[in-house]
Amino acid sequence: MHNVNEMPARIAAFFAKVEPGWKNVKVDSYEVMTGGYSRLLARAEVTHAGGHETLVLRGDPPKDRQLIETSRQQEYELLCVVADHGVRTPRALYFDATGADLGTATIVLEYSKCTSFVPWFNAGGSLDGLHLRLAEAIAFYQSVPIDKLPASMERHASWDAYMTKRIDAWRQASHNHVESLPIFHYVAEWLDAHRPPEAPLVLRHGDFQSSNVMISADGQFEMIDWELAGIGDPREDMGYFKAVAQAMPPDLLDDTRIEEFCARYRELTGMNELQVNPATVAYFLILGVVGTVEQLMQGGAKWATGENHLFTSVFNMSSVVFGQSMWLAAASQLSEPMKRIAAAAQGGK
Amino acid sequence: MFSKPTTEQLLAGIAEQLRTTVMAEIQTEPTKILLQQIDQILMVCSRRAAHEIAFVHEEAQRIAVLTGKDMGAPASLHLDEVVAWYHRVSVALSDEVEAAFVSGDQSRIDTARVALDARSAVEMQILGALDLVGRG
Repeated sequence: MHNVNEMPARIAAFFAKVEPGWKNVKVDSYEVMTGGYSRLLARAEVTHAGGHETLVLRGDPPKDRQLIETSRQQEYELLCVVADHGVRTPRALYFDATGADLGTATIVLEYSKCTSFVPWFNAGGSLDGLHLRLAEAIAFYQSVPIDKLPASMERHASWDAYMTKRIDAWRQASHNHVESLPIFHYVAEWLDAHRPPEAPLVLRHGDFQSSNVMISADGQFEMIDWELAGIGDPREDMGYFKAVAQAMPPDLLDDTRIEEFCARYRELTGMNELQVNPATVAYFLILGVVGTVEQLMQGGAKWATGENHLFTSVFNMSSVVFGQSMWLAAASQLSEPMKRIAAAAQGGK
Repeated sequence: MFSKPTTEQLLAGIAEQLRTTVMAEIQTEPTKILLQQIDQILMVCSRRAAHEIAFVHEEAQRIAVLTGKDMGAPASLHLDEVVAWYHRVSVALSDEVEAAFVSGDQSRIDTARVALDARSAVEMQILGALDLVGRG
């Protein structure tokens, strides 16, 4: 995928290998797609004697142009698991694990017929009821059994151990950066001092934001871009969604919708009001972004030291600057509600 | 050296030329997005260039007052040495934040928080508006 001119021939050769039944394979077009910050994306139109295929290729950029480092192998395995479970996501159809055929490790996906959510909204799409559909989508992919998830995904000894590690990731992000980040240390200490009630660990998407969801003709959400997925707290993706929506509206979890969203999610999962409520979702608006923040800061650090030449690495540091102001404001607003929730949870034990 | 136009003016001028002249000639969507990102970063650089050495000194003074600790001074006003000193200032603030929470002393936590809010406000002043071009 690194050399666009080579791709039609490479794709034709790839299908001769993986689909020997296809005769007269012809690649009608190969177009680089926008939207993927971290991976290369392209759309290919392929005709053969038996029909026509529209496919999406998702591959790794060259090493010195990688915004973040994630595993295509794990992503491919996860895509197969979630699609088999019935989660709405474009199916992974083929995988070139080594890049021997397509030039870089590449997942070949079906082309989604859904519309990207943000442009759909900007074109006048109605948000009515979508916060409930969002709760349903999250609850459903979180219902994938953990033992079915790729073996390469880290399993955690307990929720407490997981939270300790996630919170400490803020401190480590500062220690590993090219300069100390005092706000990260504050965030870590604040998160530790205001832990929410425990919740069962589940599959988390890891980059669950409006630009990674699409909307179908029947008004359901389809999720894309699972490269940062892992096993974690079920409220992380909700908080993450809300966090990104602060910088890129619409916010389906705003004050007018968050209570109904939480109620629908609780109804589907059996979790209680102390576990899932506007305050705990907002707590994860801070905690839930740490995985992405770590990656973005690493990208910026590598740019500063000359190990990475991807301009997006610099550009994305602006998101962290914006995020810092948001995390500080959220911590101020949440201190008292989180103390009350902790006290109520203690009282209930 | 010629000090005018200032670095702030030059960078803002380059950004304007890219926006008003070069952009119209760009045909491909990924390159248009890259140019929009470059525009935003140039404007950040412009605002930073005008004030960054002053900003870090002002922050160090605030932290010194809040913590009662001497933050020292950079070896010179050359940016490499200022940045190295500012890193030490930031470490001192990070350590103070952690110590404040360990102590459980809310007023000490609040004092550290004042310094962090001021730091964030400066960063937001430099950032200006955030537009996540290319997303969605």
